Amino acid sequence: MADLRVDLGKIQLKNPVMTASGTFGYGAEYEEFFPVDKLGALVVKGIAPWPSHGNPTPRVAEVTSGMLNAIGLQGPGVDRFLHDEHYLPRLRRTGATTIVNIWGKKIEDYCEVASRLDAESDGIAALEINVSCPNVKEGGIAFGTDPVMMGKVVSAVRRATNLPLITKLSPNVTKIADFAKAAEDAGSDMVSLINTIPAMAIDIESIRPKIANVTGGFSGPAIKPIAVRMVYEAAHAVRIPVIGMGGIMTGEDAVEFLLAGAKAVAVGTAIFADPMAPLKVIDGINAYLERKGFHSVSEIIGLFGKEQGANGLRSR
Amino acid sequence: MDLECTILKNDCLKGLYRRIVFDAPAIAREARPGQFVHVRITPMRDRILRRPFSISDADAEAGTLTLVYKIVGHGTEALAQMRPGERCTILGPLGKPYTLPPAGVRPVLVAGGYGSAATYLLAKRCPEKGALLLGARSDGDLILVEEYEKLGFEVRIATNDGSVGHRGFVTELLEGALTPECKDCFVYGCGPEPMLLALGKRSLELGAEAELSLDQHMCCGVGACFACVVKVCDDVSPDGWRYSRSCKEGPVYNAKEVYYG
Repeated sequence: MADLRVDLGKIQLKNPVMTASGTFGYGAEYEEFFPVDKLGALVVKGIAPWPSHGNPTPRVAEVTSGMLNAIGLQGPGVDRFLHDEHYLPRLRRTGATTIVNIWGKKIEDYCEVASRLDAESDGIAALEINVSCPNVKEGGIAFGTDPVMMGKVVSAVRRATNLPLITKLSPNVTKIADFAKAAEDAGSDMVSLINTIPAMAIDIESIRPKIANVTGGFSGPAIKPIAVRMVYEAAHAVRIPVIGMGGIMTGEDAVEFLLAGAKAVAVGTAIFADPMAPLKVIDGINAYLERKGFHSVSEIIGLFGKEQGANGLRSR
Repeated sequence: MDLECTILKNDCLKGLYRRIVFDAPAIAREARPGQFVHVRITPMRDRILRRPFSISDADAEAGTLTLVYKIVGHGTEALAQMRPGERCTILGPLGKPYTLPPAGVRPVLVAGGYGSAATYLLAKRCPEKGALLLGARSDGDLILVEEYEKLGFEVRIATNDGSVGHRGFVTELLEGALTPECKDCFVYGCGPEPMLLALGKRSLELGAEAELSLDQHMCCGVGACFACVVKVCDDVSPDGWRYSRSCKEGPVYNAKEVYYG
């Protein structure tokens, strides 16, 4: 067994595999499949100051090698998340490394959730700031596609909590490096990317959108090459750790992100196909390391850039 | 349970309707009427999501799980191509089942389209036999009629085009199928959402106990993704309703829980 531990600065993970926010509920849903503390970290679905219905249905549609979703951040709100047995109290008992994804419509909303969580932070390893959800009218991606706005959100949340902060970046930008840098400059301890890609699909028989929100976020294996490119660019633009995600189905997919410079990865849509996918990805990473003769996962993080020269293109 | 299960049969029932039987002892043992399974259809390489199917029949002794489906898209087309001996990965049984009617209570099953596939196991397990009210677009969409009759259920049919039985909606047959004292009847519904909402409302008006199987496009099947939500009454919510995960808290809901607004 290779050493799978990774050091993300303010947090240490037993392995580099996390679950992507919105794909793993609040952890409890998958406890019957495996002990959730086997994950490097578990990222819960977005938490706002208030309970929220989310979008009308249909909320998902399948497309070639992926899916669209516009769930619209249905959630219990921070009060119930903190005190209702189904949420944080239960997660605390599992011993899982728990990261809480947070969102709001205004900057103050983000700060409110962050400070509430900060006040009862037992069992919370970090916060992930969602400035990239494509499916809500206010907040979300509206903050994440302008580096100045994004910086304001991140620095405000920075002042509201001492918990480690991850900023989740949108792929819907021209130059991802600028956004990674803006998050770093505003005090984010890590960045995670990519969120889903804004997309749509039309039912040609009914001439209606396949999801009620018309547009939704595209995820799944189809988006992986875009995500790998963006992780590579972000990892070369900042000193803070980068968490890579987007279409990871297997250990081999995860290795690609690690080679591109991600210090950890997240599995998302793959969980819908196979609830055991996160554990299989952990095993797959280990199998790759053993096959290649590496002793630890840290040896391969960013190895692609180093092996291939700074521009990564030399031996193409 | 997420298990590799071998196909024993995959036959045409009628037109685009198919019946597939899996060797799935562990699932068959636990399956209850109204529950579903989430199937990963193996040959699909570029379609990654599972497909949910109502459990149509489960035989604990034979160890078999039976699903009835209509070929409607990529998933069911691929499934229809599969042959005995091939395997699918099946997660289940999932979801909340129907409540079996207590002794002395007459079950009135109301099925729209191939909803009759989902109520079949219920019909089998009901201690007393009652009626199946079966609605379909046309003659070609009526399935499992003889199977229900063999179980001792009286089958009454409504078709939109009048090709068989009553011309109109299946819900129009409800009053005639209930005893004058509705308390002796339990209504069970499975079918398209507008039909179920009409059925739920009418049952409540008539004072009959009713359960409806509601769902929406499904994704994870275990309550994590919040895709398949349906509206249920909620006194705490300022709007009087909330979205409930049909894969976890449903798909079977009491008619009183459902939000009709």
